[in-house]
Amino acid sequence: MSEENVKIGLETHLQLLTDSKLFCGCPTTGNDNPNTRVCPTCLGMPGSRPRINKRAIEMGIKVAAALGCETPDEMNFSRKTYFYPDMPKNFQITQFSIPVGTNGEVTMELDSQEKTVRIKRVHIEEDPGKLKHIGGNITSSDYVLIDYNRSGVPLCEIVTKPDLKSPEEARTFLRKLSEIFEYLGVYDTTGEATIRSDANISTGGERAEVKNITGFKDTEKALRYEIRRQVNLKKRGRKVKRETRGYDDKSGTTKPLRTKEQEADYGYIFEPDLTRIELRDSWVNTLEKEIPELPHQKKRRYVDEYQLSKEVAAAICSDFDMTKIFEDIINKGKNVSIVANILSGPVKKVLNYNEIRLAESEIDEQKIIKIVDMVENKEITDRNAEMIIRDIAIEDKDPEDVKKEKGLGAVTDDKIDDMVDEVLRENEDVVEDYMNGKGEALNHLVGKIMEKSRGNADPRNARDTLKKRIEN
Amino acid sequence: MSASEFVTGEVDLEKFHKKLEKRIDGLVELGLIRPIDYEYSDKKDGKLNGLPFTLKDSICSKNDPTYAGSKILEGYKPPFDATVTKKIKDSGGTIFAKTHQDEFAFGTASTNCAFTTPKNPWDKERCCGGSSGGAAGLSAALDLPHINLGESTGGSISEPASFTGVVGLTPTYGLVSRYGLISFANSLDKIGPISRKVEDAALGLDIISGKDFKDQTTVKKETNYRKSISEDLSGMKIGLPTSYFDIAQDEVSEVVMNAVDDMRSLGAETEEIELEMTEAALPAYYIIAPAEASTNLAKYCGMRYGMEGEPDGNFRNYFSKIRGKGFGEEVKRRIMLGTFTRMAGYRDKYYLKALKVRKKIINDFKRAFKKVDVLAAPTAPMVAPKIEEVEEMAPVEQYKLDKLTAPINLAGMPQLSVPCGFHKKMPVGLHILGDHFQEEDILRAGHNYEKRRGKIDYPEA
Repeated sequence: MSEENVKIGLETHLQLLTDSKLFCGCPTTGNDNPNTRVCPTCLGMPGSRPRINKRAIEMGIKVAAALGCETPDEMNFSRKTYFYPDMPKNFQITQFSIPVGTNGEVTMELDSQEKTVRIKRVHIEEDPGKLKHIGGNITSSDYVLIDYNRSGVPLCEIVTKPDLKSPEEARTFLRKLSEIFEYLGVYDTTGEATIRSDANISTGGERAEVKNITGFKDTEKALRYEIRRQVNLKKRGRKVKRETRGYDDKSGTTKPLRTKEQEADYGYIFEPDLTRIELRDSWVNTLEKEIPELPHQKKRRYVDEYQLSKEVAAAICSDFDMTKIFEDIINKGKNVSIVANILSGPVKKVLNYNEIRLAESEIDEQKIIKIVDMVENKEITDRNAEMIIRDIAIEDKDPEDVKKEKGLGAVTDDKIDDMVDEVLRENEDVVEDYMNGKGEALNHLVGKIMEKSRGNADPRNARDTLKKRIEN
Repeated sequence: MSASEFVTGEVDLEKFHKKLEKRIDGLVELGLIRPIDYEYSDKKDGKLNGLPFTLKDSICSKNDPTYAGSKILEGYKPPFDATVTKKIKDSGGTIFAKTHQDEFAFGTASTNCAFTTPKNPWDKERCCGGSSGGAAGLSAALDLPHINLGESTGGSISEPASFTGVVGLTPTYGLVSRYGLISFANSLDKIGPISRKVEDAALGLDIISGKDFKDQTTVKKETNYRKSISEDLSGMKIGLPTSYFDIAQDEVSEVVMNAVDDMRSLGAETEEIELEMTEAALPAYYIIAPAEASTNLAKYCGMRYGMEGEPDGNFRNYFSKIRGKGFGEEVKRRIMLGTFTRMAGYRDKYYLKALKVRKKIINDFKRAFKKVDVLAAPTAPMVAPKIEEVEEMAPVEQYKLDKLTAPINLAGMPQLSVPCGFHKKMPVGLHILGDHFQEEDILRAGHNYEKRRGKIDYPEA
C-alpha cells in the first residue's frame, strides 16, 4: 500500500528480560496460575511502596544507548493516573518529564535502501495486569477475571516520530527493534514475548491513534485497515476526526474508543516514593561497553569480511542465536559459503515454517556441523539437507540417523549415467518431442530421474547429463 | 512512671496488663482508640519489655483492622506489618489498639473521622486536634507507660500534641520508614512518636528509625536519641521566628515566650529570625498534599479490599458508586482539589509552581539554621477549639490551623511539640524546630525545658 501522505508514528512496548518485577521482588516468570506471582506492592495494597529494580534501569540505559539516544544526568519516575481494573493502584508508574533516553534513531533497510526512523523517547514503565473476559469480548462478556501476575513487569516503551510511511515500513521497523533488543540481551523473543504498539496514523488530515495492537502481523493489518478507513472517509468527502481507536484483532478493524474531547488527562505528578536516579557517567559508560555488535554492524561486517550477499547476511543476522552458531562454526575452519547458505536457506525456511526462533528449535551447533560436513563431502544434496533439517528442527534427532532412516544420500556420477540411460530408453517419445524443439520435455525427463533416485540426484547434474547424451 | 523507666525498671507485667485492660473501655468511650486483639509480648531483652504501643489507624499491622479513619477501608486487615510495626514487635513492644484519626489524615481537628470524633481529655467538648487526634488524646488520657505512633503530613503530630498537652515528635523525612503507612501525601508523610515525655518520644524514635530497603526514601543514621537528650542547653542558639509569634493569638504567644525565657535561663541564647516564606507555605502545602493524595486514593474503588458493592453497570459506574459512598466529604473535596491542580492545563500553574515554592521554603529554613541551632515558636495559633466550633468552620479556616506547622513539614525537617502552659485552661504547645536530621538538638532542647517546667497534672480520664 502506498499513499503519498501517510504518516505513522509508533509507541511500542517490549518487555525487559529481568528476573524480578520493576518495583518489587516478585518473579516475572514461573508459576502461571493466576495471581500467584504477586505481593502487596504489585497488588498496590495500601501502605505498600515501590522500589527500583536496578537491572531494569540498566537495560533501559542500554536500549537508549543502542538507539543513539541522549541520556540525562538524572532521571525520575512519574504517576500516570487513570482508572482501569487491570491497574491495582489506578495509576501507572512510568517516566514522563525525564525519560532514560531522548532523540535517537533506528536505521533499517527497505527494498535495499537505508531508511532512518527518528526516536523521540525511550522510557521504562510497569505493565498492568491482564483482564480475561469470560463468555464474550470486552462488550459482551458475562464477567471479567483479573490476573495480576503481569502487574509490575518492566516494559520499555519506544516512541518514534511520525517517520513511517506505510504498514510494511512499520512492520520492518518493529522487526528491527526487536532484533536490537534481542542483541542487547534485554528481550526474550521466544515464548510468550509480545511486542505491543499504539499507532498514530494520519493520511494528510487529522491523526487517529489506534491502541492495543499486538505483534508484527497485526500491526501491519491494523495500519492497513486504518489507512483504508481514512482514505475512504476522504473519498466520501468526510473528514478524519482526531480520536482514539482500538484495534480488534478478531475482526481486523479499528473501532472508536474516545474522541479528543474525551481524551484522558493523566494528571502526571512525580512519583514521590522513588528517589531520583543519578545516571553517573562511569555507570553509563560501563553499560555502553557491554553493548555487543548490533545487527546492522554485524550485517555490514559479514558482507565485508565473509563476502556474503546482503540477503544472506540479513537472514542470519535476524536471529541472534544464528549469528552465534554461524561465527562459532566458521571459526572452526568450515566452508563459509556452505555454512551461510545452510543457515540462511533451509534452516531459516524451516524455522519460519514452524514459526519459531532458532533458540526454540532442537537445532544446535553440532548438528549443523554434521550437515555442513555431509554437504561439503557431497554425501548429500542441498535438497537432502533441507529434508534433514525439517526433521531435526522440532525433534531432537541426529542428522546422520535421519539421513539413513530416509535413505538420503547424493547419487554418484556413475549411477546418474546409468539412470540417464534407463530413462532415455523408457521415454523415447519424450526424447523425440525434445528433439523436435519442445524444450520443456527435458523437465519431464529430469523428473523421471529424480523419481528413480528418490530425490537424491542433483537435478542440475541430471539435466546436464541428459542434455549431453541427447544432443550428442 | 514513664515509658523509659518501664523499660529499664522491673515491672510486674501481669499487674500492669490488668491495669491497662481496665482503662480500655474508658478510652474507647472518649473516641480515642479502637482496641485490637493482642497478646502481651514476653520478649524481655531489655529493649521494650512488653511496653504498650498504639498505632495511628493508617499504620498497617498484620491481620489487624486498619482503616485509616475511612469507611472505604472498613473491615480491611492488611496481610503485612508496616516496618515500624515490625520493629516494635521485634523489640518486644505490645500493640494493643489503633488510634482514631481524620479520614486518610485529612484534617486538623479529627472531626473528619468516619467512625468517631476523639474528645479532648482536658475538655470533652473540645477537639483533640488532627489528624493524629486519637493518639494525642490517648497520651493525655492514659496515665500508664506507653508510646503512640502518629503520622504527620502537614502538622498532624505537633498540632494534636499541642491541643492535648503531650509531646509529639515529627522526625526528618526519610529517618523513619513509611513502608506500611497508608499514604496521604508520600513526599510529606512522616511517622513519629507521641507520648507524655520527651524521653519517651526519643525512645520511640530509637526503635522505629533506620534505613529500610522497602522505602527508598529512607537513610542510614546511627544514633542513640535517648542518650543524646541529657546534655544541657548552655550555648544552644535558639531562633525566634517573629512571623510565627505574630500569627498566633497573643495569649498563646505569651505562654510560649515564657517557655523561651525558661530555656534562656538554662543557658540558651536567643535571637529573632525572619522567615520570609511563612505566608506562602499553606497554599503550597494545600496544592502538593492533595495532588499526591488524589493519586493515592485512586486505588480505593471497591476491588481487592475494603468496601464492596453489587457490581452493576460498567467498571466506571461501579468505581464511582463505591467511591461516592465510601469517601467522606473532606476526602472528596481534596480529591477534586488535587486532581484539578495536576491537570494538563493547570499543572504548571499550580503543582509545579508549588514545588518551586517548596524549594524556597527549604532554603528559608536552611538560612535560619546557619544562624541558630533550633527555632522555637507556638505549635498552633490557638488552643484546642470546641468540636462544634470546628464543625462550623469553613474548610479554609480549618486549614489555617496548619499555618505554623505546614512550612516545617514542607521542608521535611524535624519538629517537637512540648506542652508549655495553658490558656483558657487548655494546653499550649512549644514548637521546637530543627534542621534536617538534627533530632538530637530539638530533643535536647525539649527535654531540658521539660525538666525545668516540671510535672503536668493531667485530667482524670
